[in-house]
Formats: sequence, C-alpha cells, structure tokens
Amino acid sequence: MPGTIDTLATVECNDLIESVSTRSYGQLRLRLDRQIPVLPGQFAMIKPHGHYEPLLRRAMAYYRCGLGKKSLSVDFIYQILGRGTQMLAKLKAGDEVDFLGSLGNTFYIEAAHRHEALLVAGGVGSAALFMLAEELVRCKIPTKLFIGGAGRGDLCGLGDFISLLSSDQVISATMDGSYGEKGFVTVPFEKHLQSRRGEPMIIYACGPDPMLHRVSQIADQFAVPAQLSLESPMACGFGICVGCAVAVKAESPVGFIYKKVCTDGPVFWSNELHW
Amino acid sequence: MNNNPQSAIRNPQSDLLSVEIAGIRFNNPVLTASGTCGYGLDMAELIDLNKLGGVCTKGLSTRPLGGNAPWRIVETHGGMLNAIGLQNIGARAFVEEKLPELRRYDTRIIPNVFGYTVEEYIEAIEILEDGEGIDGYELNISCPNVKAGGESFANDARQAAEVTAAVKRAARRPVIVKLSPNVTDIAVIARSVEDAGADALSLINTAVGMSIDINTRRPRLANVTGGLSGPAIKPIAVRCVFQAFRAVKIPLMGIGGIATVEDALEFIIAGALAIQVGTANFYDPSASMKIIDGLADYCRRNGLENIGALVGTVELNH
Repeated sequence: MPGTIDTLATVECNDLIESVSTRSYGQLRLRLDRQIPVLPGQFAMIKPHGHYEPLLRRAMAYYRCGLGKKSLSVDFIYQILGRGTQMLAKLKAGDEVDFLGSLGNTFYIEAAHRHEALLVAGGVGSAALFMLAEELVRCKIPTKLFIGGAGRGDLCGLGDFISLLSSDQVISATMDGSYGEKGFVTVPFEKHLQSRRGEPMIIYACGPDPMLHRVSQIADQFAVPAQLSLESPMACGFGICVGCAVAVKAESPVGFIYKKVCTDGPVFWSNELHW
Repeated sequence: MNNNPQSAIRNPQSDLLSVEIAGIRFNNPVLTASGTCGYGLDMAELIDLNKLGGVCTKGLSTRPLGGNAPWRIVETHGGMLNAIGLQNIGARAFVEEKLPELRRYDTRIIPNVFGYTVEEYIEAIEILEDGEGIDGYELNISCPNVKAGGESFANDARQAAEVTAAVKRAARRPVIVKLSPNVTDIAVIARSVEDAGADALSLINTAVGMSIDINTRRPRLANVTGGLSGPAIKPIAVRCVFQAFRAVKIPLMGIGGIATVEDALEFIIAGALAIQVGTANFYDPSASMKIIDGLADYCRRNGLENIGALVGTVELNH
C-alpha cells in the first residue's frame, strides 16, 4: 500500500443532503496538509478524532479530490446509517478527523480504450464512480451512467454527474418512480446492452450486492467485461483484520478462496467473484 | 545487540523498558497481538517495526486455512466481535515467504500456533522449528479439540496441560501459552499450564460473544458467535492477569483492550511483565508506538530504573 498515511485531516465542510426518502446522506470535505496519490476507486478509513465511540474508522470511497498548493482536499458522500456515520454527520468545519488513506486498488481504466464505458451506480455507490467518470472523460472515452436508487434523493451526486457527462448520458431509475424510469436501474442498463450487442463496451459498477450480482449476470450474458467495486464491513482497511472477506473463484476443494476487499480490492473483475 | 554504554545514554529508553520473558530479551514490553497485525510486515508501512518489542503473528496451522464465510466482524459498544475462522497461510508459507523479511527487523518474532488436535500443534511447531529468527512460540489453545469431543483445550485444565507438555517436548524455543477468559477459574488453568512446563502465559484471548440484528432476527456474524475484543473486555482481562499473577511464578503478558499507555500500565500493575496491543491496531495503527513512548515517560516521571519494577505492584491495602 505505497502512499498510505495515517494522519489528522481537517473538516472543510460537511453538508447534509436533503432527501425526500427516509434515507439521509452527507457530503464531507477533508483537507490534508500534504499530498498523497488519490486514485478512482480508492478509499480512506475515517472517524472523528478523539472519540472512543464508535471504535472503528469507517471505510469511505473517495468521491472527488482537489489539489491545493501543498494541501489536498478529498470529498466523501456517506449514507447516514449507524453509529459511525451518525458521528460523521455531526462533524463541523474545523473539526479533526483520523484519516488513513489512500487504501485499496483502482479501476482498470486502460481496458476502456476504444470501448464505450458503462457506469452502473446504486444509491451511495455512485460516490465510488465519480472520479472514474472524470478520468474516463479526460481520456475521451464515451461514458454513460446508469444511476438508480429508492427515490430522487438517493441518486447521490446526480447533478455532478450530469454536469460532467451531460444529461443525455445519464440514465436514471428510481424504485418509487420519482425520477427517471420506475424500477431497478439494471433494467435500462440491460436494454442498452441489448441495443448495442456486439459493440466494444466495458462496465464499471458500484452499489448494493443484489445490484452488483445482477450487473454481473448481465455482463456474463452479453460477454462484456465488468469491474465491480465492493463494499464490506472492515475494521482496519489495510489487510490485517481479515474481516472483509470476499469469495473469489480458485482451484480449491470448495471452488473459491477468500480474498480481502480492502487490499485485494475493492475493485474486482465480476468473473473473478464466486457469487 | 547494544554493548556500547554511550548508546545507552543516547537511548535510555532501552534500559527503562527492556524485559526478559522466558529467556527472550525484548527491547520493550510492547508486542502486537496475534490476529491484529497480520504477519508483522503488514504494519511495516504504518509503524516502525524496529521500535516494537515483538510481533505475535496471525495464528498459524500446519496447512493453510480459508477461514469463515462473511460476515466475519461486527462492531459492538467499545469493541468488536470477530469470527474470522483462523484464516492463515500455513506454517510452511510463513517460514518461507514471511520470515526472511520479518527477521530483518530488530523485533522479537513470536509465531502464534494453533491446531485442532495435539498432533496438529506438534506438526505446526516442527515446521516452525526450521525457521531462522523465531524467538519463541505463542500457543492459541482456544481451539476445539476435535479428538476430545470438541471442547476447547483452554477450557479444561487437563487438556490445556496435555497440549502444553506435548509442545514443550517438541519445541526447542520458549513456549508462551495464551489463555482464554471463557473459563470458570483462570487460576486453575494457569497453574495447570505452568506445571506442564509453559515458559510464560499470555492472557486473555477474546471473550465469546454474540450480536443479533433485531430486524432480521439473525445473528450478525455468519458463524453465529464470535470473539469479543477491544476496550470493552479490558476489565475482564485485567482481572484475569491479577488472578494469574497470584497463581503462577512464570511471567505474564497482558492482552485485552489495550489502546493507551494508561491501559498498558494497568496491566503491568496487575501483574503483566509485557503487554500486547490488539484491536487498537485496527483503528489506531500507531497505538503501540505511543504506548512505548508513554511507558518510558512513566518510568522517568516515577523514577523507575526499569518497567519491571512496576509488575504486580497493585496496592490492595486501603
């Protein structure tokens, strides 16, 4: 994990995102007084400094980053779910945060050259795809985003994605029909693959496990390579707790071995995974 | 390694903190606990392994183990439950792939060893005996003994003694036996293991616990139960060290929720000559480094020539 540092970061801003659904989200910007590599798909382990509860830092995917003269700012979007994210939601500008990063691997962007890149995001999973989308655009790779959630308020980062990719390259789906198509985001995604059958495409996805599983099935069906960014509970983020096990196909008596989401991932090829 | 008296003046921390346990000389009494620091090298980018007293590796078995299905961990108040399932690369791979790099650091290397039969412990030890640079072994005896009805070795004084004695016969290096808190009387087990020839004890392993999701009514861990660690178990661990200190003459290593120098001192005063930092490595990787500096400061502030003078000095008379 070259480039990993354990340091204090300072909160620049922490905005709670209004949501019409029952879920709430926050967008946190941290400033580091030094610069470290920040790659699409990577994450950091963070928690408010000086707090005993919660005990463990929380793994958060980088949403975007910005370079200052000597500093670095990184943004995270988090869904307020349990004690850890409730504590994050209380952070105010100027507060200190324990920061361990950058952690994990990155998306394999080289594979997208001369392909159409299809991004599939579910809920807060979209956060892990924004820097990837920026990089794909920078590399002039045609990029389309399929973004889904329970309702309009769960399409995290939608405005940023539309600004980056333009609205006709962002296809939305919500379970309550409040925005875009009604239903699962994998439905318009599958339709698109059907309409482009045989053309060179590559898939990058992040979201809830059932969505990733469906994306993986569709990728298989159309023989399109797919990279999935996984989420898992983890205590450390740098490979020592072995809590974030994911079954990966391998020659073994059971047909798989456990790899670590934190250091072997979080990005895996979908055909590696033993669902 | 340091015979120059001048350097002792430059680095008085070594005099204040060096301790000898079971014939092993530790630069300081702070180790990282098994299962919380990988094979040591995994922490090398975040902490200075040369500064660490020692490393207890992830538990090693004769053959590699794949571990349990997820979910393997869940955070609880002041701690966490884990049911990793002793996933490890196996003793042979440790010796061949990890040890050559690990022994380049000036820290003591204590492989943690486990098995499901006495024979498996012996087999793992015999593999590790080939490894150069190993200073001693820590036995995890909390595994079920599959040849004796599946009860944990650690829960039965006779079985704990049996595995200890068998390993002592097989090992030319010192053997530290790691005790479980999930027993009726830890003093009985401690004495039994001492009588069987253990060179030192480390305690405690995790406390068995469980957590249930009230919405699904399912256990939060796929394994149903798991080992509770972290600050939540510290008072249990301090009590166990206190009781064991009064029961045996061999040295003790204290483990259980140690995250700060104050925690470490509490264990030392209760009777531990060394301590192991466990779960704190996950959320504060440099905790062990801060504890080492803090112990040296404490010695200086309190006029202690060596931290050993503090061991077991708990004052019971009011």
